[in-house]
Amino acid sequence: MSGTRRSLGPLLLVLLVTGGTLGFILWAVNSPDQVRVVLIRIVLISLVIFLGILLLRYFTLLWFGFMQHAERDIGERDDVELPPISVIVPAYNEGAVIGAAIESLLALDYPTYEIVVVDDGSRDDTLAAAVGWERDGDVPVRVFSQPNAGKATALNLGIANARYPFVFCMDSDSTVEPDCLRRAVAHMEDPSVGAVAGNVKVINRTSLLTRLQALEYIEGLNMPRRAQGFVAAVNIVPGPVGLFRREALEDVGFYDTDTFAEDADLTLKLIAAGWKIAYEDQAIAWTQAPEHWLDLIQQRYRWTRGILQALRKRKSLFVKPFPDFPLWLSAIEMGFEAVLWPMMNVFAHLFFAVVALLFGMGELLLYWWVLLTLLDLAAALVTVSMEEEQLSLVPLAVIYRFFFILFLDVTKSFASIEELFRFGMGWEKLGRTPVRPAEEGAR
Amino acid sequence: MNILDILITIIVVTILVTIVLGVITYVAYKLRLARRPSTPKDEADGTWYFERYEPPARRTEATAATREDG
Repeated sequence: MSGTRRSLGPLLLVLLVTGGTLGFILWAVNSPDQVRVVLIRIVLISLVIFLGILLLRYFTLLWFGFMQHAERDIGERDDVELPPISVIVPAYNEGAVIGAAIESLLALDYPTYEIVVVDDGSRDDTLAAAVGWERDGDVPVRVFSQPNAGKATALNLGIANARYPFVFCMDSDSTVEPDCLRRAVAHMEDPSVGAVAGNVKVINRTSLLTRLQALEYIEGLNMPRRAQGFVAAVNIVPGPVGLFRREALEDVGFYDTDTFAEDADLTLKLIAAGWKIAYEDQAIAWTQAPEHWLDLIQQRYRWTRGILQALRKRKSLFVKPFPDFPLWLSAIEMGFEAVLWPMMNVFAHLFFAVVALLFGMGELLLYWWVLLTLLDLAAALVTVSMEEEQLSLVPLAVIYRFFFILFLDVTKSFASIEELFRFGMGWEKLGRTPVRPAEEGAR
Repeated sequence: MNILDILITIIVVTILVTIVLGVITYVAYKLRLARRPSTPKDEADGTWYFERYEPPARRTEATAATREDG
């Protein structure tokens, strides 16, 4: 009961701010003409500033992303040049899908690697399913089990038992492409690179919701990552596909267990320690996207709060851009994308819609919306082309702009407010259904 | 009502409805969390509904004695 009461806090705050804004607008409508003229000017200036930020964001990301794409290294390495890699697979209640993950790992085109599965005290048959794959031989599969302690602890246990100087971490609900390790490890030729972020794609494109997420991964998540990759400062090495130099992990003390976004937290630690973080778009992992709206909301809520927790640990950094400028830039960008931008987006849409209604500025709103949609369509076309993805995803950019992003940004805004008030939260598990790559038309 | 007015109406209504739906879904998510049964304290031991059965010490001794006899 107290939890329900507490969860109403952010809702009340949002209603208060929204009500205050609407009240102000209504007051403005009924105020004298001179006041209205001033207010209309303020609205126009706000609109221009918002569009300016938006255009700057899109063009910066697209340009840097294009540069990264143009300069990427697609050369092949001889097997003798490739270092051995330990693959770590943490799993919690993933009995339905872990077999597919291990199967895809055993099909990797890589000379020397081992697979280390860590069962995080699952309550289903995950451990039994994983033990069924245990073997010695060319590609040894070892399985460890621990009482439920969280993903970060499971990853640390796996890394502690890894034998090789490079560690590849993936999620147990994901599968990887056969050349994933080969592509990612090429970046490690530069000894200052501590980690390589791979390219996560949605595998279960069976409904409008999951197809929208497929587009979101390409345009909304991979586009910024690709742009950050151009300056080797990717700020989140994603859970489903990340290659790490063991020395770098030891340098920063492995994964911390005090956030819900251990991937973002570890990446920030690596950047703070001076390691470069590269991006490899050909190191592809296929992940299962939530198939129900509430599950999607749950996932984004956790991501947003986790990122904020990782940023909160470094809050003093925000006012000190030097000497750790790359870290400062990564943290600012992370905070902007995860917190500030969603809030701005919701508030701007609400503000402009109400103002358009009350001040008769509908045409301006229409042009603003058309511009946003065109930007999304252009970004979708460019990014889908760069990733050689399904062109049929591009038209979804209209729904993406019209509904999907705004809808998710509402939850992200609430999650940010809850995190600011430090509300309690738990790691709620998403439901899984086994999906085999051959069963869907993702590729 | 011309085409521009229709488009404007569609956009305004969609924006407002999307935000309202977003709020409703967030509230539904929080309600689902609140209604979910709390996690048992001894989850790590796998005893969710029943008390763990501990065999009496006497029986263990008897088994050990039997083994020695054999």
